[in-house]
Amino acid sequence: MSRNAEAALLAAAAVIAAFGVTLVNLASARGMDTQVALTFLVFVLAFGGLHVAARQWAPAGSPFLLPLSALLTTIGFVEIYRLDTRLAGLQRWWIVIGATLAIVTLLALTRAGTDVIRRYRYIFLAIALLLLLLPLLPLDWGFPIRGRLVNGSRLWVAADFGFIDIQFQPGELVKVLLVGFLASYLAERQQALSMMTRRVGRFTVPEPRQVLPLAIAWTASFGVLVYQRDLGASLLLFTVFVAMVYAATGRAAYLVAGGGMFAVGAVTAWATFAHVQPRIQAWLSPFTYYETTGYQVANGLFAMGSGSLSGAGLGLGRPNLIPFAATDFIFAAVAEELGYPGSVVVLSLFGLLVAVGIGIALRSRDLFRKLLAAGLTFTLGLQAVLIVGGVVRLFPLTGITLPFMSYGGSSLVSNFVIVALLIRISHEERS
Amino acid sequence: MNGPIRRLALVLLVGLALVLANVTYIQTIAGTGYRDDARNRRVLLSRAAKERGAIVDRAGEVLAASGENPDEQGFLRVYPFGDLFAHPVGVSSLLFGDRSIERAYTTRLRSKQDLTISDMVAALLGRDLRPESLVLTLDAGLQRVADEAIGIQSGAIVALDPQTGAVLAYVSSPSFDPTTLLGPTAGPAGDTLVANPDEPLLDRISSATFAPGSTFKIVTTAAALELDLARPDTAFDNVTALELPGSTSTISNFDGGACGAGATVTLQTAFVRSCNTVFGQLAMDLGAGAMSQQATAFGFGLDIPFEWDVLDSVFPPPSAFENDVPALAQSGIGQRDVQATPLQMVLVVSAIANQGVIMEPYLVAQVLDANGAVVERTAPTEWQRAITPTTAQILSGLMTQVVSSGTGRSASVPGVQVAGKTGTAETGGAPHAWFVGFAPADNPTIALVVIIQNGGSAGDEATGGSVAAPIASRVFAEWLGRNP
Repeated sequence: MSRNAEAALLAAAAVIAAFGVTLVNLASARGMDTQVALTFLVFVLAFGGLHVAARQWAPAGSPFLLPLSALLTTIGFVEIYRLDTRLAGLQRWWIVIGATLAIVTLLALTRAGTDVIRRYRYIFLAIALLLLLLPLLPLDWGFPIRGRLVNGSRLWVAADFGFIDIQFQPGELVKVLLVGFLASYLAERQQALSMMTRRVGRFTVPEPRQVLPLAIAWTASFGVLVYQRDLGASLLLFTVFVAMVYAATGRAAYLVAGGGMFAVGAVTAWATFAHVQPRIQAWLSPFTYYETTGYQVANGLFAMGSGSLSGAGLGLGRPNLIPFAATDFIFAAVAEELGYPGSVVVLSLFGLLVAVGIGIALRSRDLFRKLLAAGLTFTLGLQAVLIVGGVVRLFPLTGITLPFMSYGGSSLVSNFVIVALLIRISHEERS
Repeated sequence: MNGPIRRLALVLLVGLALVLANVTYIQTIAGTGYRDDARNRRVLLSRAAKERGAIVDRAGEVLAASGENPDEQGFLRVYPFGDLFAHPVGVSSLLFGDRSIERAYTTRLRSKQDLTISDMVAALLGRDLRPESLVLTLDAGLQRVADEAIGIQSGAIVALDPQTGAVLAYVSSPSFDPTTLLGPTAGPAGDTLVANPDEPLLDRISSATFAPGSTFKIVTTAAALELDLARPDTAFDNVTALELPGSTSTISNFDGGACGAGATVTLQTAFVRSCNTVFGQLAMDLGAGAMSQQATAFGFGLDIPFEWDVLDSVFPPPSAFENDVPALAQSGIGQRDVQATPLQMVLVVSAIANQGVIMEPYLVAQVLDANGAVVERTAPTEWQRAITPTTAQILSGLMTQVVSSGTGRSASVPGVQVAGKTGTAETGGAPHAWFVGFAPADNPTIALVVIIQNGGSAGDEATGGSVAAPIASRVFAEWLGRNP
C-alpha cells in the first residue's frame, strides 16, 4: 500500500468523522452546525499533519498504522460527541495535541533514530519512575504540581501554574517510556537472561539474580495497585514486563514465574484491599449486586443487548445511562448505537493494528527495535483486550482506557506517540 | 526471537477473539433478554424523553413546559402552577395517559422527530421537527382568582368571551397536581386520585352534568319570547302552589309563598324573583315541542364543539312528556330529567350576551412553531343561533334586573352593569348553587358560570344567590378591573 492510499484513507476517516457528527446532530434535531466543519478540520489537520510528517521523516514507514488508528479515533470521537459535546470539544484539542507530539516524535528521531532511546534508557527509566510517583504528591501543598484523587484512585496529577490548569494521568506515558527502557535493557541483557543452567528435575529454572528484574517489576506494579489503587495500570505494567522478558529470552520459565507472581499478587490484593473485591463481585454476578457494584457492568450489558444486531443508530440509543460511558465503557456505547457490526469493526481494527505492529516486530532485524515494536504493540493490544474484556465480562473490569477511542488526553497522546514510534521503527528497518 | 513474539501476538488475537465471542453472545443470543430487562430504562425513556412543546396562557405565562430531567437524559414535563391548570391543560403522563389539552394536542406538542429516515431527509431539507407550542385563551390571573373564590368547595367556574368563544377561566374543583402523575410514583399516585371520593380527576365543566335549576328559566323564557307567547309584562296567575294536572304534586316557590303581592305577576317580576310557579305554568303553555326545540337551539342534546368531547346535556325529547305533563312543568324550572354541563350553561348565557349567537368555545388561541412563529390561529367561529337579537336583548334586560334588584344582587360589581340568573337546584341532598351571567350588560366581554356542588360550605342553606353569586362577583371584578 502506498502513501497516497494512506492519504486517501485518512481523508476518508475525516469525512466519516464529519458525517458521524452530522448524524448525531440530526438525531438530536440540531442540524448542520459549526461542529461538523470543526471536526472535519481537526481530523484533516491532525492526520494530514501526521501523514505529511511520515512522508517527510519516515517515508519507508508502514502506511497501515495511521489509517487504522485514525478510524479508531474517529469512531471513538463521534461516540464521545454523541455522549457529551463538551468532552468532544476537549477531545478535539487532545487529538491535535497528540498528533503534534507524534509529529514532534518523528521529527526528533530523524537524525539519530530510535537509537536515542537505547542511548538514554536510564534517563527514560528515571522519568518513568518519577512520573509514576507524581500522583502521590500531596493533594494540597504549595507546589503548583499536586496529586489528585479521582474516583478513589491516585492516578491524576494537577498542574496549576495560574495561567494554565491541566490534569493528566502520567501512568499513560509511563507505559511508553518503560517499554522503551525495557526493549533497550533486554536487548543488551538478552544473553545473560536466557542462559539457564540450573535444573530442578526436568525443568530449567532461572537463577535468583535472573528473576530479580521480574521481582522489581512485580513490586513496582503492586505498589501502583496499593498506593494508586489502579488495578488496570498495575496489571498492564506487570503483564507487559513479563511479556517482553519472554519475548527477549524465549524462556517459558519467565512466564511461569510471572504467572505465579501474578497469582500471589491477585490473591493478596483480593484478600487485602477493599477496592478489589467489588470488581470481582461485579464481574461474576453484576445483577446480584445491581444496585451497588454491579450497576456499571449490568448497564453496559443492557446497552450492548439493546444495541443488538442492528444497533440503535448513531445518536438514537441511550448510552448515557452507562456510568463512565465516554471513558471505560466507550465500547459498550459504540456497541449500543452501531450494533453488532460496529462491535465487529472495532475489534477487527484492533486485531489489524496488532497484526501490523507485530509484523513490524517480526520483520525487524535489530533486536532492540524488534523488542520495542513488539512491546509497544503488545501494550496497545493488551489494553484493548483488558478493557473490552472487562466490559463484556470476560475479565473483571480494570478501568483502563480503550486506546484511541476513550475520552482522555493522556491516553490519546501516548497512543499517538506509540504509533509514531512504530512508524519510525518500520522506516528504519526498511531503509 | 520471532517465536515468542508470534506466541504473544497469538495470545492477543485469541484474547480479541474471545472478546468477540462474548460480544456476539451478548448482542445476539442474550440481547433481547438484556433489552427487555425491567431494570433497563431504555424502553420507558424512549417514550418519555422526547421534548414536548410548551403551553402558555394568553399573556405568555408558562402553564406546561419540557424541563431538563436531572436524573435521566431527556426531558421532564413541568407544570409551574401545580393543580391550578390541571383540568384545562391536563397532564402528559406515561403511566397514566394524557389528559385534556395535553391529550387533544399531543401530536402537535410532540417532537416530530420519530427517528425515521424520512424524518432525517425532511430535517435536511429544512423542515422543523421540533415540537410546536400552544398559546391558550386562558388568563392565569383570572384562573387564580376563580380558584381562590371556589376554595375547597366542589364545583366549577367557567368563563369565556361571549363574542369569540375564547375560554378565559376553567376551574374544576377539587383539582390535582399533574406533577404527581409523572415519574416513578405515578402509579400509586394515580390510584389514590381515582379512589378519592371527591373525584379530583373529574372535569366538572365538560364531563359532568347537573340539574340546572332556575338558571334554566332563561331557556323557558327564551322559548316564550321567541314564540311571542309572552312578553316581560305578560301577567300570570300568582299562586302559592302550582297544581300539576294528572297528579297530586305541585310546584311551589322557594320561600313557599306567592310571587309578591297581587293576584297576578308579570313575567319580568317572576324572572327577577325566580318564581317557580310562573315558569312551571309557562312550560306547560309552551308545550314539550317548543321547550325541546328551544333547548336544542341552545345546544342541549348536541355535541358541543370543543377541544375534546363534551358530555351532552339533556332536555328530554317531546315524546317523554306525552303522558307526563307534570314532568314538563318541572323541566321548565330546570328540574326532573334536565341535566346540563357547566359548559352548556355558559353557552346559554353567551348566546344572550352575543345577540343570540353561540360562538364555538375554544381554549387554544394559537399554535406556534419552535421559533415562536404562529402556524395556526383559531378564528372565532359561529356555532349556532339560539335566539333572535331581540329576544337576547329582552333577556339581557331581565337578567340585569336579577342582579340589580333580584336574587342575584350579590353578583353585582360597583360601577358595572352585570346581568345574571341564579339557580338553586334540588338534588335530594344539599342543593347545587348556580350563577350564570355576563358583564358589562351593554357590551359583554365575559360570560361565566359558577356552580357550587351540593351547597359547598353552606350546605343545606345554600342558594345560588348566597353562594354562587358572590363568587361570580369576584371573577367579574377581576376581569373587568383589568379589561374595562
